[in-house]
Order: sequence, then C-alpha cells, then structure tokens
Amino acid sequence: MKLKNIYQPLFALLLLLSASFMGCKKDFPVDEDGLLITARAECFVSNFELLGADFITVRAKPVVIDTTAQTVNVEVLFGTDLKNVYPQFSLASDCKLDPKITGKTDLSDLSNPKVYTVVSGNRLVRKPYTVIIKYQ
Amino acid sequence: MRTPSFKHLVLVFFTAAIFLAGCQKEEYKIPDPVSDLTNDALKRSLGPNIVSQTIEFAYAMALPKEKGKLVLAEVEASIAGATGTFLQNNSFTTGGAGQDVPVLVGEPSVNKDNRTSVTFNVDTNAATLRYFYVIPEAARGKTVSFTFSATASNGSKVTYKLGPYNISKMDIKRLIAVSNNNNAYISIEDMAVYNATSAVAVAGKIDLVYLFRTTPSAFLHGLVSPAADPIYLPGVTLPAGVNRSSKVRREFGVQDRNLANLQFGIYVDDRDFQEIQLANSPNYAIGLRAEASTWVETADGKYRAYIYVNAVSTASGGSAVISILRYAL
Repeated sequence: MKLKNIYQPLFALLLLLSASFMGCKKDFPVDEDGLLITARAECFVSNFELLGADFITVRAKPVVIDTTAQTVNVEVLFGTDLKNVYPQFSLASDCKLDPKITGKTDLSDLSNPKVYTVVSGNRLVRKPYTVIIKYQ
Repeated sequence: MRTPSFKHLVLVFFTAAIFLAGCQKEEYKIPDPVSDLTNDALKRSLGPNIVSQTIEFAYAMALPKEKGKLVLAEVEASIAGATGTFLQNNSFTTGGAGQDVPVLVGEPSVNKDNRTSVTFNVDTNAATLRYFYVIPEAARGKTVSFTFSATASNGSKVTYKLGPYNISKMDIKRLIAVSNNNNAYISIEDMAVYNATSAVAVAGKIDLVYLFRTTPSAFLHGLVSPAADPIYLPGVTLPAGVNRSSKVRREFGVQDRNLANLQFGIYVDDRDFQEIQLANSPNYAIGLRAEASTWVETADGKYRAYIYVNAVSTASGGSAVISILRYAL
C-alpha cells in the first residue's frame, strides 16, 4: 500500500475522535441567574455590613448574627439615614441572596424588618434571615 | 533528494537580500532650523474655570537672531477678562534648584478692551510669557477662546489659538468661619453665615444650622436644616422665621481641590451638580470632621451646593471653617 493512500482514512478517524471528545464534555447545571448549582447544602449568613450613602459604616457595634433564629441584629449610629444604606451580606460558599441587593436600599421601616432569604449552593435549602436594626 | 539548482539558490539569495534591505536603518537628519517667527501656547491651570478665578497660560515665541527681535506679544480673549487680567512681562529661566527665575523682558502689560499686550523693551529673540485671565462675570456659563499673537521687528506676525474653554456656572466662597451658638446660620443663596440676630432679617434664606454636640458621640460637628427633626437640633432656639428644609448628603470621598487649599487632586465641576440625586436625602448631616463635605440642595430647588469642611475645633464650644461651591439650577 502506498503511503499516500492511508492519509484519507487517518484524517477521517481523527475527525471522528475529536467529535466524540466534544460530546463527552460535562454539562454543568446553572440556575436562572447563570450561577453554578453545586452539591453544597450549607445555608447561612456569615457576616453583615451596613454602609451609609457616604460608603462609611453606620454600625455602632459589631453585628450579631443568630443562625438558629435566623436574624441579623445591627445597632446603627445616631442620625443614620436608613433610607439610603448599602447592606452587604457574606454568605456560606455557593449561596445566593433573594431578593438581590442592587444598590441603595431603604431599611428605614424599623417596625417591619426586611427579610432576605439565603439560598444554598444546591438551591434546595432556603433560609429567611430578618435584618433587625435599632438606633444607638 | 535532488540537489537545488543554481537558479533556485539565486532566487533565495535575492529574496533574502530584499528583506535585509527593508530593515536598513534610516540616517538621522538634522531638522530644518526655524527660519522665521514661530509660536506655541499651552494652558497651565487645571480644573473647572470658575468666575473670579484665574486661568493661566504660557505663550512662547521665537525667531532666528539674524531675523530681528521680538517687539510685541498680545492676547485677545473672546470675552474681556476681569480686573487683574495680565500678560506677565517676564520670561523665565530655571534656577539651580528647579525654581522659576524671572527675567524682565518688557513693559508691564496693557489691557485694552479684550486685548492684553506686552511691548518688549529688551533685545530678545525668544521669550515665554505667562498670561493670567481672570474670569469675568460676563463669561459665566459661556465659552471663552484666546488668540495669542507675536510681532517681530522684521514685521512678521504669528498667531496661536487656544480654546474654546467652558466657563463654569459655579460660585466659590472660601474659608467661612462658623461657630456653635454664634455664627451658625448658613445661607447658600448669600454664601454667608449669620448669627441669631442677623439671621432674622434673612430668615427665608437660611438653609443650614451649624452645631457641635459631644453627646451622642456620633454627633460632633453637624450641618442641620432648620426644619429637621428637633433631635438633630438639641438646645437650639431657631430665630423667628428660620424654617427651611434642605436636602443634605454627607460625603467623605470627595475633597475639592479649589476649596481644600490645593491639597487634593479632585475637582467638583458643574456636571456633578447637574447629575447628583439628592431628592431622597435627609435634611441633616452630622458626624462631620475636617476634610469631610456635604452636598446640599436648597428647599426652593434654586441651588445645589458642595460644602467642604476645611477645619474643625472643639475649643470654646465648637467651631469650623467651611468653603462653599454653589451651582444655580
């Protein structure tokens, strides 16, 4: 057999192989936000910060996070304008927050504390956390 | 394998030669010397152009020695500069320590209408003069252009145009001393501060009250609207008729260079006032300290202002030094 004649079948084989490799790529599941859904079931708030309109913290004391009662207790400085604050949550790995925080938030209604739900990495566990604010 | 023919070898050789020839470095040529009067100008000052402030330019002109000497330098502004506008009759050299050393080259500048000129009185063929244009009230919110020109003894004349430059609508007032329970009533419209007695006469123009309190600890120096919740005006008896409610937002990240005595590299400009949203802001700002600032919108919506705190003191009941940039809406 001439060397030239084996090129064609070899090329076809190579194409076939590469096509089959492409088909083997794993399909990672993503949620409606395009975020990766993982196997993690941990679901809690690990830290919380509250910044004023001037991007300076308005906390008067360290935040108290109760993961059993699912509350975030913040004491803010006298005179804090709670209509214009930026809440910042730190969550367990792969978790996300619902509703999302998109910018300046109004937390001034102290009698109706705002509730944020933490959703776990596997998107199966949902824990609502209440942000309880009081003035210094 | 076949041995390459002579023809092939020649072809390869020529191709290589062409490539190599393309890489040859060009010889440096001394540029043509300037053969006649030439000029150049640049703007030296930065930031927004605010009425009553100065815009500084440097205007350079030169001609070959054998062609003559400089006779006249002139600047024409599209809007005549305010009192204090001048073209410096010095040229400068750089001293050993890098400082500017002035060299007198002409008569003091003369302003006529919107022209400012210096007549040279020394035999020089090169000079760089600085031009200081004091922005007049007439230019507020408009644009100003400048035409620099130089005339030589051989009759040749050159011109250089700069601009147009936007002139800000802002007003500036620096270093206003305010004190707790005394000169505490601030009017944005007047860009001035009043005490309890004098504030009565301008009660409708008082936008903010300065106060200092040590308790609660977060209070300290504050700028509070007269109509704010009384908990932000502890122990304050407002003069009759002082009752306006301004929108106030405290700011820590912005220190305007014009107000902060040239300390920071940030300028507040017209656009900041046009775009800032204060509708949802409170009517007080407390916890102020030196180098903090506030954005203010007056109750009647006529003005927006930026108030910079230059200095604060807790001595004798509390006082502060503030500076104001004001923008009429």
